[in-house]
Amino acid sequence: MSDSFTLPLRPLLEKRERPDTLPQEIAQINAQWGSFRDVTEESLRAKIEEEKNRDPWAEEDEIDKATADVDTAERMDQLYKRRAEITQFAMQAHMEALFALDFVSLLLSKHTPRQAELSMSAYLKQVAPLGSLNAEIVNPPPKSDAALQDIKTVSRGWRLQNFNAAANKLLKSATRLETEVAAETKYWNEVLAVKDKGWKVCRLPRDRQALGVQYGFLEATPIFRDRGLAALRRADDGSLLLDKGLIPQRARTVRVRIRTQGQYTGCSKVSWSLPSADSIESRILQARDTVYEEELFHEMVRESRIMGSQGVTTRQNLVQVPVSDEQEVLLDLVDVDQSEPTDTETHSNEHDTLADAVAHSVRILLAYAHRQNLWRRTQPPPPLSQKRRHTPEYQLLRPVMAYLQHTAHVRSLESFMNDLRKVMKAAGLRCDFTSAPFSSVRLPQTRSSMPKVETLVKQFLMPFESMFTGNLITPESSFCVKVRTNTVSSSSGTYYEISVNLPHHREVQPPSRIGLQTEAAAAIIHFAMLDIVTAISHKGTKSPKEGADAGKGVLRWEVAYAHHGELRALSSSGNNKKMKVRLSREELTIQTFPLRGLDGSRGVDEDKRSANLRSQSWTLDSSVPRPSVMEFVEEVSQDRP
Amino acid sequence: MHELLLFASVPAHQHHELLQQLAGLTAMQPRHRLERRLVFKASRKPGLVTTRVGASQDLQGADMQRLNKMLNGGMYFTQVVGAVTEADLGATSSATDVDVSMSGTDGPSYCYENQSWKLEFRDIPEAGTRSAVTTRLMASASLPKGDIAVPMNAWGYSFVTEYMVEGDVFVQNDIVIFLHRVLLYPPAGPQEAHGPRRSLPAYHELTPLERTGSYVLQAAITVQDGGNQEMMKTASQHLFGLREQLKSAVRLEQADRLSLDTRAK
Repeated sequence: MSDSFTLPLRPLLEKRERPDTLPQEIAQINAQWGSFRDVTEESLRAKIEEEKNRDPWAEEDEIDKATADVDTAERMDQLYKRRAEITQFAMQAHMEALFALDFVSLLLSKHTPRQAELSMSAYLKQVAPLGSLNAEIVNPPPKSDAALQDIKTVSRGWRLQNFNAAANKLLKSATRLETEVAAETKYWNEVLAVKDKGWKVCRLPRDRQALGVQYGFLEATPIFRDRGLAALRRADDGSLLLDKGLIPQRARTVRVRIRTQGQYTGCSKVSWSLPSADSIESRILQARDTVYEEELFHEMVRESRIMGSQGVTTRQNLVQVPVSDEQEVLLDLVDVDQSEPTDTETHSNEHDTLADAVAHSVRILLAYAHRQNLWRRTQPPPPLSQKRRHTPEYQLLRPVMAYLQHTAHVRSLESFMNDLRKVMKAAGLRCDFTSAPFSSVRLPQTRSSMPKVETLVKQFLMPFESMFTGNLITPESSFCVKVRTNTVSSSSGTYYEISVNLPHHREVQPPSRIGLQTEAAAAIIHFAMLDIVTAISHKGTKSPKEGADAGKGVLRWEVAYAHHGELRALSSSGNNKKMKVRLSREELTIQTFPLRGLDGSRGVDEDKRSANLRSQSWTLDSSVPRPSVMEFVEEVSQDRP
Repeated sequence: MHELLLFASVPAHQHHELLQQLAGLTAMQPRHRLERRLVFKASRKPGLVTTRVGASQDLQGADMQRLNKMLNGGMYFTQVVGAVTEADLGATSSATDVDVSMSGTDGPSYCYENQSWKLEFRDIPEAGTRSAVTTRLMASASLPKGDIAVPMNAWGYSFVTEYMVEGDVFVQNDIVIFLHRVLLYPPAGPQEAHGPRRSLPAYHELTPLERTGSYVLQAAITVQDGGNQEMMKTASQHLFGLREQLKSAVRLEQADRLSLDTRAK
């Protein structure tokens, strides 16, 4: 457009038909420089150089220098003096203005007395009556032609000068406008690029002139929701600046570390690669991530306050969550760039996956909490009352902690059961169990109206339950252990529900809830022991049935004190025997010794007793093949001392 | 509970635009609602009220006074509201007949027996309030499912008429914004005039009460304790805030008190 349209701005200077006459110029030079003899080329050049080099502000600088020398007291003095001067000038101007007003008022009072009276001062009203001054137009005397010519020339010069100045200003502003337009174009192109990427661009609510981009999360806590809006400001060259106000520009993220037995054994990934570090898109993304991470940490700290009873501790910038006796999870907010732990503590990567999993889980759970917030917000609100609605703490750490605790419990119970099974196997007893970890977690059905993601996450906010079922040695007897972990804080923690089906000890039932793992293990061992005792006593009853001759010389074991693992065999020939079954996680021991006291023979010395004591134990890692329990029982069942 | 209200009339051509604006303002998607509303009128059975009059000043406790007031007070129209879905409209009625419901696999069906209901009582708006919002006493209660005419009759209400309300709900903080219009059923046979319909006509058969098809924008906020002046003031401040925000789109204002009169003469 600017090419096709040109407008001459500078005034056209008419070439004078004839330049100044030579005599006139000579007269001028004589007046300015004196004699022609002094005017040489060198002197003129020197003069021009001097003019050029002279600083236009030189005089003022000198004054400044002078003032710089004076000390502060003097400057203060000078300051006051100047101020007084300024005030004086202002006063004087004021006075003069008032005089002028009075004068004009008095002049006008002849024609419009009422209006003029209003603007008259009180003093004037006293001393001069209204309408006492009149004005008349007087024709000035005619001026001479030369004077008229002068005035004409001067005014023409002035006009030319003003035209020039105006043209200069216009041209300058044209160039300024051009750069401005270029900058604006660049700015708007970048804004459009941001908008095309799908970001929400809007006006700022407080600063209506500025554009902002919304990158935060609408459902976040208000302070973080409001931080999700940053102004898109224009730099002088038109590039886009993301102005987040007072919020620090650093990118921060939540770091998860695992500490096992006082040593760091895992750390989550902290820095992730941004597409290109300096584009506006990446800056918006980084701002979004930071606000999300900070909210995450804020909410975790808030949640950890109500989890104090479960051993969760908070520091200024650290949340410690104990998972098991030797393991704890540490969460803190770190700058992205100082990602790598500078700690000199021994650091292994054993649990990096776990740390990453925890880091991902808490983020997913925060997103889920946001969705819950949206759902809650769009429900019809309860009636307005004075009670303020409490926003519940999000479930971030609790599900993670419950999951980890549950896993730890299930694992240790499983290893305990495996040990027990090995002991049993070594003893030739068949005892099998199946485990169903996290049997309560069911993948969502498709029919539900909720989004699939939400139903999936919801599963992990319910109490966790794992189940162990197994058969014991005697037929029809079985056991079932349910491990439950609640996520909500009211009844948090893990407890065991053991149910046993022992047909021979129907009256025996475990306590309904067992809180400690050692107690649960003790209960299982006790039932297994009861079962072994029952099996041994059954074997005794079975064998005589097989044949009449087999019953001869074979003792029958009867249960004496089942809960102490004691059996007794009464013999007609006086070889009464006692058997004691001991079962622990590591080994199964069966001891038999002659029953003392029934025959009343105190004379049996200790040596003989100990000689008759027979013992057999089956341990966890027995490589040496040993007779099975039943073989051993058969052997000791012989009716001989 | 008290309810504070502001209303605005929205011409049909502005409806879509306003939906967009409200969705932006409340940052949520509109929740479409289709409600059938039954109007019941309370009637006093003659000879039922026997209260002792006089000579019982000392015996008449507060409860008794309240009971008397309730029994002898004015009679009101009440509404019974049941939410339906668009699939229910024009669907075949699956009545109590088992055979029909067994064989009725060919398409959606509307089950009147499973319709859930809510009783909504609204008093006449308070008179002489200085505030520029409509304020009225309100109460809601859920009712048993199914045929509602029988229990309502037993409680002393008689069926008057019914209509349909179609609209979208938005929630902004404490304010429930309901952009809706009233739809009338096509004239029915004489057998259906005495009770609620058991089947619903198709959507296109319904005619808007307002011929031009315009909508009503209702902004409501409920307050638990109407006696608490501070709460009431806060609530009306919230409504005024909304009015300011919507100023460029619609003009929310107080409703004519007598047009919301629910008293039965």
